[in-house]
Amino acid sequence: MRVTVISPEGSIFDGEAESLQAPAYDGQVGILPHHAPFMTLLGEGTLLVRVGGGERSFAVRGGFLQVVGNVVRVVAEHSKEVVHAS
Amino acid sequence: MAKSKALKGRIRSVTNTRKITRTMELVATSKLKRAQERVHATRPYAEALRGVIADLVTPELAEGFPLLRQPAPPAKGGPTRAAVILLTSNRGLAGGFNANLIKEARRRMDALEKAGYAVDLHAIGKKGVGFFKYLGRTMAGQRLDVTDHPTPDHAIEVMEPLIAAYARGELASVDLVYAAFISPLTTPPTTVRILPVEPPAARAGATRADYILRPDAAQLLDRLLPLYVRNTMYRGLVETSAAEHGARRTAMKSATDNAGEILDLLKRTYNRQRQAAITQEIAEIVGGAAALQG
Repeated sequence: MRVTVISPEGSIFDGEAESLQAPAYDGQVGILPHHAPFMTLLGEGTLLVRVGGGERSFAVRGGFLQVVGNVVRVVAEHSKEVVHAS
Repeated sequence: MAKSKALKGRIRSVTNTRKITRTMELVATSKLKRAQERVHATRPYAEALRGVIADLVTPELAEGFPLLRQPAPPAKGGPTRAAVILLTSNRGLAGGFNANLIKEARRRMDALEKAGYAVDLHAIGKKGVGFFKYLGRTMAGQRLDVTDHPTPDHAIEVMEPLIAAYARGELASVDLVYAAFISPLTTPPTTVRILPVEPPAARAGATRADYILRPDAAQLLDRLLPLYVRNTMYRGLVETSAAEHGARRTAMKSATDNAGEILDLLKRTYNRQRQAAITQEIAEIVGGAAALQG
């Protein structure tokens, strides 16, 4: 499935992913490929995107997550990639 | 020779001015490029937000949201204050850029005042603040630290108190006067109504019924509308900043061209004078020699 992470200042991630885990307003949601059309509000926390064996994480706050036709859009007012020390 | 000395001085001064305007043109060009990229980068977010709100808003739902509701006119007990936000640049030398923005804002303010509203003016940018201070107008808010490098946080800081005041029913509307960035050469001063929110038109064949919404549409809207309002403000800031650099580049380019023209004229006059002086000297010498011989 395709995942895009968008902040007001631009698109910060756009690519294929196997799954993602996002902080919704009322708890974590996991999205796997071919999820039904879905929309929820984002809370504050870490968004994990699993890409080809690896994982990328983004700190997100405020906004929404939308799934339509195997495309996931994470639209957050504050979002920033978190770079792991490893 | 006194006159040619004055000419020489002017030639030097115009040359220096041209150097300055040329440098400013180059600086504006490079800043413009970066600002332009920022404008383009705001598009995906704005479009995503606009699409979602268009999908969610229905006429029945709109009634329940203060941000979407048209307030009653003052005659019927509605709010009597209206806010106008004016974006200008912090620096001048950009041609008519700031003057045009100020003119646009005054037009909107006059229209609001004629309609019976008291206008709260929020000026952002030194040029707008300076102008209205000179007029002696009290401003509800002024900021000088924003327009050079706007961030989404700036937009939040500016909009949050206004959104709150609007939601409390203290403001009848909030208008934003900014420079729309259509191209570096086309940056018309533009007024948009940020509040009440004009819900974007739904796209043809919208599929909102098929979504699983969590929470429901009303709660989603409640959270997303302020985001939409703030994003409109952020885009206004980013576009105005890009437009400023575009306007400055144009102004400085024509200043450089004009300086070049003046320089040509001055040089021609100077050389002609120098030649006339030499010719006259020779004539004098020849005349003197002839007189001695005669």
